[in-house]
Amino acid sequence: MFDPLNLQVFANHTRAAAENMAYTLQRTAHSAFVKETEDFTVMLINRNGDTFGVPMGLGATWYPGLTYTRAIDMVADYKPGDVAFTNDPYSCFVATHAPDTHLWKPVFYEGEIIAWTGGHIHNTDMGGAVPASLSRALTEIHQEGIRFPPMKLVNEGVFDEDILKIMTTNVRKPDLNIGDIKALVGALNTGERKILAMVEKFGKEAFLEGAEVLLDHAEAQARDILRSMPDGTYVFVDYADEDSVEANPCRLKLTLTIKDDEAILDFTGSDPQLGSSLNVPSGGDPRHTMLLVGVYYVLYTINPKILLNTGITRPFTCIAPEGSVLNPISPAAVGMRSLTCARLRSVIFGAFCQAVPERLPAAPAGNNCIVNVMTTDERTGRTVIAAVNPVVGGGGGMPHRDGTNGSGADAAYLKNTPIEITETEVPIEFVKYGLAKDSGGAGRWRGGLATEMAFRVFSPGSRITARNRDRSFFRPWGLLGGKAAGLSDMVLNPGRDDYRRLGNIDTAILQPGDVLEIRSAGGGGRGNPLEREVWRVVRDVDRGYVSAEAAERDYGVVIRDAVLDEAATESLRASRSTPVGHFHYGPERDGYEAQWTPAAYDLLTDILAGLPIHWRFFTKTEIFRRMKGRVGPEGVSAALSDVRARFKEMPEPLTATKEAAE
Amino acid sequence: MDNAAAPGKSHPKQQDWKVGVDIGGTFIDFCALETRSGRVASLKVLTTPDDPGAELMTGLSLLAEREGLDPAAISRFVHGTTVGINTVIQRRGVSLALMTNAGFEDVIELARLRMPDVYSLFCSRPDQLISRDMVFGIPARLRADGSEAQAPDMQAVDEAVATAKAKGASGIIISFLHSWRNDAQEAAVKAQIAKSAPDLFVFTSSEVWPVIREYERTTTAILNGYVHPRVSGYLTALEDKLVSRGVTAPALLTKSNGGVMNAAEGKRACVQMLLSGTASGVIGAAWLARRAGEKHILTLDIGGTSADFALIIDGEPQFGTGGLIGEFPLHIPSVSVSSIGIGGGSIASVDAQGVLRIGPESAGSTPGPACYGRGGTQATVTDAMAVCGWLGHSQMAYGQLQIDVALARAAVSKLADQIGRTAEEAAQAILDIAISEMFVEVEKLASRAAVDLREFTLMPFGGGGPMLGAFLAREFKMAKVIGPPRPGVVSALGGLVADLRGDFIRTVFTHLAAEATPLLRKALDQLSAEGLAWLSKQGHEGPATLNVSADMRYVGQSFEIEVPVQAAWIAKGELDPIEEAFHAMHLKLYDFDDPDGEIEIVNLRLSAIGAGPALEFPIEAEDRGIAVEPEREIPVFTGKEFEWIGLYRRDLLRPGGRFSGPAVVAQEDTTFAIPAGATVDVDRHLNLHLTFSE
Repeated sequence: MFDPLNLQVFANHTRAAAENMAYTLQRTAHSAFVKETEDFTVMLINRNGDTFGVPMGLGATWYPGLTYTRAIDMVADYKPGDVAFTNDPYSCFVATHAPDTHLWKPVFYEGEIIAWTGGHIHNTDMGGAVPASLSRALTEIHQEGIRFPPMKLVNEGVFDEDILKIMTTNVRKPDLNIGDIKALVGALNTGERKILAMVEKFGKEAFLEGAEVLLDHAEAQARDILRSMPDGTYVFVDYADEDSVEANPCRLKLTLTIKDDEAILDFTGSDPQLGSSLNVPSGGDPRHTMLLVGVYYVLYTINPKILLNTGITRPFTCIAPEGSVLNPISPAAVGMRSLTCARLRSVIFGAFCQAVPERLPAAPAGNNCIVNVMTTDERTGRTVIAAVNPVVGGGGGMPHRDGTNGSGADAAYLKNTPIEITETEVPIEFVKYGLAKDSGGAGRWRGGLATEMAFRVFSPGSRITARNRDRSFFRPWGLLGGKAAGLSDMVLNPGRDDYRRLGNIDTAILQPGDVLEIRSAGGGGRGNPLEREVWRVVRDVDRGYVSAEAAERDYGVVIRDAVLDEAATESLRASRSTPVGHFHYGPERDGYEAQWTPAAYDLLTDILAGLPIHWRFFTKTEIFRRMKGRVGPEGVSAALSDVRARFKEMPEPLTATKEAAE
Repeated sequence: MDNAAAPGKSHPKQQDWKVGVDIGGTFIDFCALETRSGRVASLKVLTTPDDPGAELMTGLSLLAEREGLDPAAISRFVHGTTVGINTVIQRRGVSLALMTNAGFEDVIELARLRMPDVYSLFCSRPDQLISRDMVFGIPARLRADGSEAQAPDMQAVDEAVATAKAKGASGIIISFLHSWRNDAQEAAVKAQIAKSAPDLFVFTSSEVWPVIREYERTTTAILNGYVHPRVSGYLTALEDKLVSRGVTAPALLTKSNGGVMNAAEGKRACVQMLLSGTASGVIGAAWLARRAGEKHILTLDIGGTSADFALIIDGEPQFGTGGLIGEFPLHIPSVSVSSIGIGGGSIASVDAQGVLRIGPESAGSTPGPACYGRGGTQATVTDAMAVCGWLGHSQMAYGQLQIDVALARAAVSKLADQIGRTAEEAAQAILDIAISEMFVEVEKLASRAAVDLREFTLMPFGGGGPMLGAFLAREFKMAKVIGPPRPGVVSALGGLVADLRGDFIRTVFTHLAAEATPLLRKALDQLSAEGLAWLSKQGHEGPATLNVSADMRYVGQSFEIEVPVQAAWIAKGELDPIEEAFHAMHLKLYDFDDPDGEIEIVNLRLSAIGAGPALEFPIEAEDRGIAVEPEREIPVFTGKEFEWIGLYRRDLLRPGGRFSGPAVVAQEDTTFAIPAGATVDVDRHLNLHLTFSE
């Protein structure tokens, strides 16, 4: 019997086991991805396949609600010492892009499986069209590397050498993959040992019950939070800048319905599955962990004592229609789904910010840009490939504090590399690495500032990739009168005559002496900027976070020659009107939505949903091509007519007509 | 005064005292040894936060009264102070300005980006010790190879100094990129400031700790400058007080690296002492363990608000960097200590779902646990111990505290009512949870270090360590627990026995290849010269030990591991043994190596050690296995029910004595709780050895 008085003790032993697994993996892993970036997870899984324990100090933040049930069921006849694995996003939707390799191991006690240990690593490369297997430009899963459906990797303690040979033959850095996989197997063995120690301490029945009670407890905590929110339906929309290389925006739409202690997240109205690798393979699982990452952040932010396990997903039901960007069907490419996931989180934050605005911050920057350089070392003639700092933005303004500068919120897990180390190893020279003035959204609580990084190369044909760039057009939004934040940008040779803005593009080729400046977006502001204490604004100007011009423009604080003009400030502030609207999106989105009104886009997604899946992205692109000079649902209908006139082969959209009248 | 006539007290003229003093949050601890008679005196005095140093004088007076200590007979005086770390935690340091390269002014705010608490949208960084308006970007640039791309703009320096002064700065920190390779730019700017503003103190990052990685180097220099005036002032006042008291021995200070330094050094290299408190505890524990013949130790020091753990492997403390000073990481070599915010004062509560939890709130030392009778009303871990009957049979902290069990029971009963349990059940649950919280931290420590705790002996100390230590040891199936005779003053003892120890570093950042030999040799020569000069400045005359190590990695890795190397290998240009040592260490720490992998050597390190005094503490004669009878039987709730168990008085336990748990050992500075299944043996140093039969 499990005594509830022991719950915290059981929870602590669970966490100790998970932390132990994480340290074992980090300690013995080979690749920088696992060892430094900490792109890995480990978990304790109950006998039904649900995660009941994760580490809090190490690893990625996306999988505490992951369930392995489907993956487990796809392999038969487990024996002690077996380990199964998969990296195929479409077999069971446990792995969500090919580099992520998930492993799971049965824990036997007295001849019966009483639990599982599991986890994932991000492999540096899984083969496919491009190094690292990830590019926005890829169009089908087969270009994204070799895939292994769920199968046994280790049989009763012995690695299947055939599988390792196949992997070695197909990937670019086999030593790293196999070193990391073996490290993960070591971590699973550690977890198994710790689980058996828990069985010995608590007894088998109490262990089995305890693993359930932890889920029930997390569920109760999550339900308490939902119950504390007003019932209602909250609709929120946000856009990724591009749905493929230099193309059209991608809309994500969420209709969040909170009723008592349950919530439905309906993503109907989001874009169709895309002809790029930005798709998120959820398999339509109503509690898929990738769809709920934003929810984990919301719950943990509201109650930092919440246990993180699959229990917290139980009160939530997601609806992600098949053939949409959040539930693509094979062979849609999925490699860069992390960009879409960042937008997915901001959509979830936006919906909850309507339910409980007083408890949540404004939008975080939401573009976790990873920068890689390939250049030639002029001293040795050797090609050097290296990751340099991630360029991430600030957190949104909080209820009682400014947004965190330069990182924070849902980007806080990222690390940088010291300039001195990078410059010693890679022949580039940094010109700047710091915070960008005026990039935080204005507000009673200012959004966190963006990061700005600029560096010079010395060798011809130096190639830069800046993965996950976004927010160069649609700003991180402000909340409750706070303003939207500054945009991300990439500029070649800033301040020179030959400077060039590169927009949202994520690759660049530089020549000797060229300087590339990459800026992230900032965090959105929260609350009326006119209510921000004058001394805080003056201090921001003093610190270089806000310019004197912006202080006057955004905050109504007049500073002349570095001195506050109190009288002018008072009268300027008195003359300004209070901002209206729950959110502030900035002029770009307002302009965009003047043409693409919510009704227009709803009609678009409705039309597309009525087409066979392989027609949808094509049709979206063709309608966008014909929207010039057209506005609203009528514009969409007209553009659709043009498309159908041009492409007579196009099938009749099933639901295309009814909303046009709205 | 009848002290002079007291038996066993020698004449002042023949005295030779070695005194170690450690200041904690609540108490200042003394451990003193009179070497001629072998007499050991220990003492605790309440701290006087408003007048640091006053409690030290009180302690000396008490030692004079009780033990007949003659200040003039003190030949070694070692002091661990918390003035530095408190200055940071309480944000009471001076206003500083920072000069960086233009374009990199946000180096301390961006830090290394990753934040704790990554699941919270509210995660944030602490406010910096130097705010951004006091950071001045100076046009200046070194290339990665140390060559100058742009000379410092001295006009910009002058302007920055003028602004900084106008804004009230009393000191300036200079930190330029790649100064680990070439310190000339920093030195030039420092010289310029000395000309234009001689009243400002200046520290450069390369003189404080010349290591690659700009954030770590900068923040270390800032911590040094931030506490400098206060620490320096404190030490000067302390020296005056000691002199006026007739103490002629120079004051030595304990360091984060577990060694000691003289006061003149302490006033300049303030950053070296910031973690000395926890470090001294481990040094003291290691010394005790060596004497008791134990090789592998897990130390457990439980205070009011936290529990500290450290590993001693093969008799040696472990070293690392990254320990926290308040909210800021410290990057100089320090004795590795892990900490968790659970201590005797941690408060128990019941959450919204009816689950009992501990902490993170703490009653601290004021008001303290309810049972201290100082106004605390919330149930704490110490109260739970009292309710179960483990505490309350003797005075605590050398008579400074009295346990009131009724107050503890009242506090715990409130919680028990909320969850519908008896007070004892709730109290036992509180203890189980507290132990499980510590279990998580110790598991992390052990898995990071890749050790099997079953091969370790637990040494609990501090006021609370002996209360919970043996129970924690059982969770890890550790076979042995060793209880030192004076667990309350282990840190003070650590200072008493510590060596002079100075650490020096040179970043070389080169492939480990024959071409690098001249560079390595030069760096080692410089380090050796620095180390020896440092020891001589400390007044050390005996033999010196110079321990050399290298921070190395495989090309492509972005962190290093420290590997001990022999100076002779470098001197003779023998790279093979260096490589082998690295491969072996990599294999040991990470379970794999890459014998064909290219190796980079990032830093060379040297520790200059002047051995501390070889102190002879008393060793008692030993009888074998005499059964000891308890003073009396007391009722203790041992998990499921009350049992009558033996209460022993520590001061009556003699070498060779033996008894079995469950039992309680009461002593002046703590209470030792001994679970069932333990056999206790008293050794010749009066340590208690608990062994568990299983």
